[in-house]
Amino acid sequence: MNPSPAVRSFTSQWQSRSADALSAVRDEAMQRFLKLGLPTTHDETWRYTNLRSLAARSFEDAPRKTRSEIEPNASLSLLSNNDRAAALLVVNGYPVVPAADGLIDGIEINSLRELTRIDPKLLQRFMEPLSDADQQRWNLLNTALFVDGLHLKITHRVQVPLLILHVATSDRDNDIAFPRIIIEMAPGSSATIIEHHVAQGPHTPLNNSTTHIALERNAQLEHYRVFATGPGATHFDSLNIHQEHDSRLKQFTIALGGGLVRTSLEANLNQPGAALDSYALLVGHENRHVDCVNIVTHAAPHTRSTQTARAIASDDSRVVFNSKVIVNAGAAHAESQQSCRGLLLSPTAEIDTRPQLEIHADEVKCAHGATVGRLDPDMLFYMLSRGLDREAAQSLLVFAFLSDVLTGMSVASARTAIENALIVQLPDSQTLQKFR
Amino acid sequence: MLKITDLSARVGGKDILKGVNLEVNAGEVHAIMGPNGSGKSTLAQILAGREDYEVTGGTVSFEGRDLLAMPTEERARAGLFLGFQYPVEIPGVNNVYLLKAALNAKRKAAGEPEVDAYEFLTLIRQKMKFMQMSESFLTRAVNEGFSGGEKKRNEVLQMLVLEPKLAILDETDSGLDIDALKVVSAGVNSLRDPTRAVVLVTHYQRLLDYVVPDQVHVLSGGRILKSGDSSLARELEKRGYDWVLETRVA
Repeated sequence: MNPSPAVRSFTSQWQSRSADALSAVRDEAMQRFLKLGLPTTHDETWRYTNLRSLAARSFEDAPRKTRSEIEPNASLSLLSNNDRAAALLVVNGYPVVPAADGLIDGIEINSLRELTRIDPKLLQRFMEPLSDADQQRWNLLNTALFVDGLHLKITHRVQVPLLILHVATSDRDNDIAFPRIIIEMAPGSSATIIEHHVAQGPHTPLNNSTTHIALERNAQLEHYRVFATGPGATHFDSLNIHQEHDSRLKQFTIALGGGLVRTSLEANLNQPGAALDSYALLVGHENRHVDCVNIVTHAAPHTRSTQTARAIASDDSRVVFNSKVIVNAGAAHAESQQSCRGLLLSPTAEIDTRPQLEIHADEVKCAHGATVGRLDPDMLFYMLSRGLDREAAQSLLVFAFLSDVLTGMSVASARTAIENALIVQLPDSQTLQKFR
Repeated sequence: MLKITDLSARVGGKDILKGVNLEVNAGEVHAIMGPNGSGKSTLAQILAGREDYEVTGGTVSFEGRDLLAMPTEERARAGLFLGFQYPVEIPGVNNVYLLKAALNAKRKAAGEPEVDAYEFLTLIRQKMKFMQMSESFLTRAVNEGFSGGEKKRNEVLQMLVLEPKLAILDETDSGLDIDALKVVSAGVNSLRDPTRAVVLVTHYQRLLDYVVPDQVHVLSGGRILKSGDSSLARELEKRGYDWVLETRVA
């Protein structure tokens, strides 16, 4: 089979890259990608997301931009200035902060390009092992083609949240960006990191972003990835997580925008005591498509994971949430919980959710539940019988439906900003504003 | 205030109400009693505007307006209140927010400004004290995790805050212990005045010892079979519903 125009364009990007210290691993990633090709609906985790029209396009590298080329309002922030340690700006994958800044109280910051030169072994650790699994397909491409990105090493307990603002912007159609972030949490460190993806201008590059999170012993992280790009934007985001002894990660995946947003989360609970609480808030409206896949592997005994996903779909949108928990042989006393709930707000919207369990150990506690439904008529009647407007009642109920995810957020300013972004998409935003 | 004429209704393809006639005037308290399955709750829900219950005949006028033509929320704003037999739990929606929204909806319909936040909290606290409810109700979600008795108190609390012209209380007494029954009764009695009316739907006479009705009706098989003053309730308690059914046949 001939490669698609998209794959051909990735190949020519690959050929134009200059060699660096990571060439060997990049080369292997590219060869694997070319062999496997773009994911199709025959691939397990891509059943509901069709990339045919994307395959017919050709892509070029999205441009580097300077800070002055970014409109201030593109940095619509999830954190107020007072609440954050720092805001790092990444445009089309290129860090715009002077990487030489080095250290912000307890955080060492380096550009990946710089690290490729001075410590390629460190980077290599976060690229391997390469995987042919279909949820890692875009990660392979990112590994081959990323030019720059950020490495954050958290060495202490950082009290205030750190914002990474990803701006996607371009002067033409058919650009592609490869943002890459590595977050390394040293033993005993703690932090809150928010990755906020926004778009600027009429042309938004195809986004193929990856984030790697490694938590060492006793480290604690609260991590957000928020997708708030425009209706025409396509975003593939891969999140890979490794957790050691007694580390704790609270992870939020929030899809508020984008024409096609596909997120993956692959977590490995490698050592006893590792705990992951992952939350997903997936909002589909107009004719947008949101596809979220989580794969959590319990590789050690006494590991714990929860997954809480809430999806709403209105108009002609489609939201997909697939999650899988794997308990390896030997991972006794693992505990996991999956709660996936979908709310359909229009007859033409669709939600597909499939929680799965694969257990190879004894003495584990694993539960999963999935429901998709419409607004509860009894609740609606109760509220109407108290005199509330139908739209206000509906909005309140939708908002309430999402509260299991929202109340898990410890960063008040982020929660408020996310709520605000949600509310404007609901039928009666005015009433809701008053009732928070 | 409320005039029901020949009302019949169907639920899930089954005829439940088969020609109900009832007139309630301002200042009056009426009790509707009857055996299980007689149509009491259906009547209450239809008056409040439950959409999946189908009215197949008859008319209902509320303060001169065609009640059946009004959407649910408009009925509430016009001063009709239903105390639910089984108040629904709404996780994620704060109890007090809902009440505030309800009060403001009513005020807006009456052309009044929204309630001041401080004033509202004072009002709520006062009514909660009257209903002997703990402060925790302020922060909890609507009926979530409430015991049966707490849910009923919460219904009466809402009624006291909204001050409806016509309150229909659907088995608000069921599942209450004697202390809770007294509190709930005091709540209902506090609303009694010449401009308002109350319809108590109940299975037992117990509540009527505390809230003495002006009229008692026996609803059975979708019709009101017998009406009388409060002594009818005591008679029923003594002789059972069969007595009404038998005397009617005889």
